[in-house]
Amino acid sequence: MFSLQSISSQIHEWLYGHLPPAFALLSEFFIVGMLMIGLFAFLGLVLVFMERKVSAYMQIRLGPNRVGPKGIFQTLADTLKLIFKEGLRPKNSDKFLFNFAPYLVMMVAMLLMAPIPFARNVQIWDVNIGVLYISAISSISVIGILMAGWSSNNKYSLLGAMRSGAQIVSYELSAGLAILSIVILTGSLRISDIVASQQTGWWIFKGHIPALISFVIFIIAVTAETNRAPFDLAEAESELTAGFHTEYSGMQFALFFLAEYVNIFIVTAIGATLFLGGWMPFHIGGWESFNHIMDYIPSSLWFFGKTFFLIFVIMWFRWTFPRLRIDQLLNLEWKYLLPIGLFNLLLMTIIAILGWHF
Amino acid sequence: MTEFLFLLKHELILGLILVILLIMKIGSKSMTNSSLISLMNGLLFINFVAGWFLNREGVLFGGMFQNSSLLVFEKNVLSLGTWIICLQSSAWMKNHKHLPEFYMLMISTLMGMFFMLSSGNLLMFYIGLELSTIPLAAMCNFDLEKANSSEAAMKMIMSSAFSSGILLFGISLFYGMTGTFSLGGPSYNFDGSPLQVLAFIMIFSGFAFKLSVVPFHLWTADVYEGSPVAVTSYLSVISKGSMVFVFASVMYTAFRGIASVWYDGLVVLSLVTMIVGNLFALRQNNMKRFLAFSSIAQVGYILIGISGSSESGMASSIYFILIYIFSNLGAFGVISLISAHTGRESVDDYKGMYKTNPMLSWVLALSLFSLAGIPPTAGFFGKMFLLTAGAAKGNYFLITIAALNMIISLYYYLRIIRAVFMDKNENSLPSVQGDFGSRLALICCVVGILITGFAGGLYEYILSLSHGL
Amino acid sequence: MTLYLFYFLSFLAVLSALMVVVSKNPVHSVLYLIMTFFAIAGHYVLLNAQFLAAVHVIVYAGAIMVLFLYVIMMLNLNADTEPQKGKWLRVAATVAGGILMVVLVGALRSAADTLPVTAHDNQIGMIKNLGKVLYKDFMLPFEISSILFLVAMVGAVMLGKKEIK
Repeated sequence: MFSLQSISSQIHEWLYGHLPPAFALLSEFFIVGMLMIGLFAFLGLVLVFMERKVSAYMQIRLGPNRVGPKGIFQTLADTLKLIFKEGLRPKNSDKFLFNFAPYLVMMVAMLLMAPIPFARNVQIWDVNIGVLYISAISSISVIGILMAGWSSNNKYSLLGAMRSGAQIVSYELSAGLAILSIVILTGSLRISDIVASQQTGWWIFKGHIPALISFVIFIIAVTAETNRAPFDLAEAESELTAGFHTEYSGMQFALFFLAEYVNIFIVTAIGATLFLGGWMPFHIGGWESFNHIMDYIPSSLWFFGKTFFLIFVIMWFRWTFPRLRIDQLLNLEWKYLLPIGLFNLLLMTIIAILGWHF
Repeated sequence: MTEFLFLLKHELILGLILVILLIMKIGSKSMTNSSLISLMNGLLFINFVAGWFLNREGVLFGGMFQNSSLLVFEKNVLSLGTWIICLQSSAWMKNHKHLPEFYMLMISTLMGMFFMLSSGNLLMFYIGLELSTIPLAAMCNFDLEKANSSEAAMKMIMSSAFSSGILLFGISLFYGMTGTFSLGGPSYNFDGSPLQVLAFIMIFSGFAFKLSVVPFHLWTADVYEGSPVAVTSYLSVISKGSMVFVFASVMYTAFRGIASVWYDGLVVLSLVTMIVGNLFALRQNNMKRFLAFSSIAQVGYILIGISGSSESGMASSIYFILIYIFSNLGAFGVISLISAHTGRESVDDYKGMYKTNPMLSWVLALSLFSLAGIPPTAGFFGKMFLLTAGAAKGNYFLITIAALNMIISLYYYLRIIRAVFMDKNENSLPSVQGDFGSRLALICCVVGILITGFAGGLYEYILSLSHGL
Repeated sequence: MTLYLFYFLSFLAVLSALMVVVSKNPVHSVLYLIMTFFAIAGHYVLLNAQFLAAVHVIVYAGAIMVLFLYVIMMLNLNADTEPQKGKWLRVAATVAGGILMVVLVGALRSAADTLPVTAHDNQIGMIKNLGKVLYKDFMLPFEISSILFLVAMVGAVMLGKKEIK
């Protein structure tokens, strides 16, 4: 009764019952936009806090514990500080691009939210090329980063942006190949179809070893795409101060920071959708009663549970592995991940054609 | 299935060679350059010989690919030229570090030309064209340590990208008007409305770039000069030859409906091309630049032939290209040998060459005579057929100018011959000994120059092939 | 609605294409070019060809233009380093471009009534139909282009391995 689906459909019916259609549509746009911004803010706060707590746990520390009970208001306080800080712009920087870059990065992150299914039938835009849409839009964020790095008129920034560009462009391939292997299994690019195809079990279980390999490749590639450690060369503190956002301060810096965490959420959400069934509860083909019991857990909980588990895994990476060198990073992609990914795709195609998956 | 194998035979053989090269590059490091050269020479010879057997006519992939005995003949001519080039440039190749890549690029361009020749569809034609030009740009850069080789590659890729852009624009206009990519399909309707003429002009300029017809010729000399000699000869003979084949057949088939339009354009361009090519060739001092401008002038003569009626125009241009392959490769063979052994390429270096290298001098002289079109050599017959084909339209002004241009060209070809035979030079070239391959290549060229002119049946044969056009 | 979107996208495409040429700063040119590509991707969406739109964005905006941007930022080209063309060259270029435009407009106007009208299948851009066309009708060019890419890669790697002495 309190599932997201029924709430959203009730709002939808109420709006269309009381307002002319154009206004109803507009107000739905407005509500969705507001919800997205709210989700963004919420995610930023939660993920930063989570990261600090996870890192503290891994390093046997306490982490933030002063502001609020167990320190949960720490990130809120940090955000307030950032909002009130003055935004500085370096001399001789390209004014328009410098100011525009953080918004571009944020815009990309927001656009990426559109096809993500948060719960059963709760999806902003179920576009028929959903997976490709995600690949297409996410490839634009690198332009924002390059813009930021170049317009800052700072060598650290430029170097950071360059590294980031090389990294994102290369790792996009592996992520794309991993996504494609699931597309081959489902035969559809539409995200709702992909989720529906996992009715009898998640692809990571149904797709044998190749699905597992794609999953591992996907996680590695998206970790690199979001510039997270151990692939955080773009903002390697010990070498480049802060990489492409060295010169940013105040709210503009906060936007980059936020975009990074939101991007992590998005890519893990996509990973969860493709490989772990998205909002689909843990089903086992044929075990009807077991599946029914699983269905009692709300779909949104399943989705966020899986996503946050993957986020935890990516944070775990950060505090476990040492940072790679740039040549090691590119070698890893072009000499290992990409060939493995291509071969894996071939294997997956054979499996899909012969119908060996469950 | 067998149909597929026979029709695509030329391309499949080249594909096979490409795969062999790839596997060799990955698999064995131990293969020396000289053994690779002999292997490739053998394979290319097999490719040439196999081209003559088991040919069928037909259409594949829903009209995307077509093959006829005329196309088979054209492909064999190109295979022969490639084989000769590989033979004669072995001296240069022996010390090159990336030889398998060189062969790979060369074979793929040849394959692209084959697909381009066989294309029954503008899309296919375009992809064939790209496959035959993009690797060529990389080949231009094969003298890796020379700066002007890189410059040549850069100019090549830029000009070919630009011309491809224009060509593509023309193709898209063409598609917009006819609703089809296919050249001469059922819904094909090309009657000469202004937009169609515009599309034709765009496509025509694309061709003109690749053929280095005069207003579009500016890249030619620099690219020819900077590239290694093997690549220069490949560019000037094989690449240009394939473009002439395609150009002629596209003119006679796809644009038959607007023949009156393109005839005028062709006449003007051939006049300008001959005159400019010849005048610039007069004052060149680098052998490769000199041959570049002479090849521009030759294109002018070819355009005259194409401006004639379809059958004789097609036949005479193919015949001329065959002769041009022998004569130009003869000259390039000598230049390539000398350049590989001494690194000298200017006309002054060739002074007094007869004293030290009598045989090479004779070969060079014979090739230049043939290029100039002096009677006993094949070049004379080639040009004669071109001009008679062009004269069929009754445009005697054009023919007169062409004849005058031949006289100008005689002057600069003889200038080289005078330098080689008569001029004295203290610092003359050392005696150069070619290996078996390059000698074989030169012998092929000489025999070709002497025989093709008198083998009268050859022209008749080509004429009979081009009947259906 | 669609018509207005079409006009908006066309305006955007033409404007940003103009800005590509006019911009003094090469980086701005590249960014405007990216905008042009987006506008064209929007046109694809209007034609109900979402797949093409996505591929267009992935290939051009996502990969090619990023490499462009990459190289241009590395070269650090500024408005000052741009070669300044002579005045007469500019006049000549303007005249030539103008004439080309006049010819194009004239030819297009005269062709407007003679163009064949074909029924537009609005499902043609769907990925299933596109795949069928690509792998059935245009199979050969598709395969040849893969050879082209292979060879281009071979050439590029070979040139990239050039040892500087």
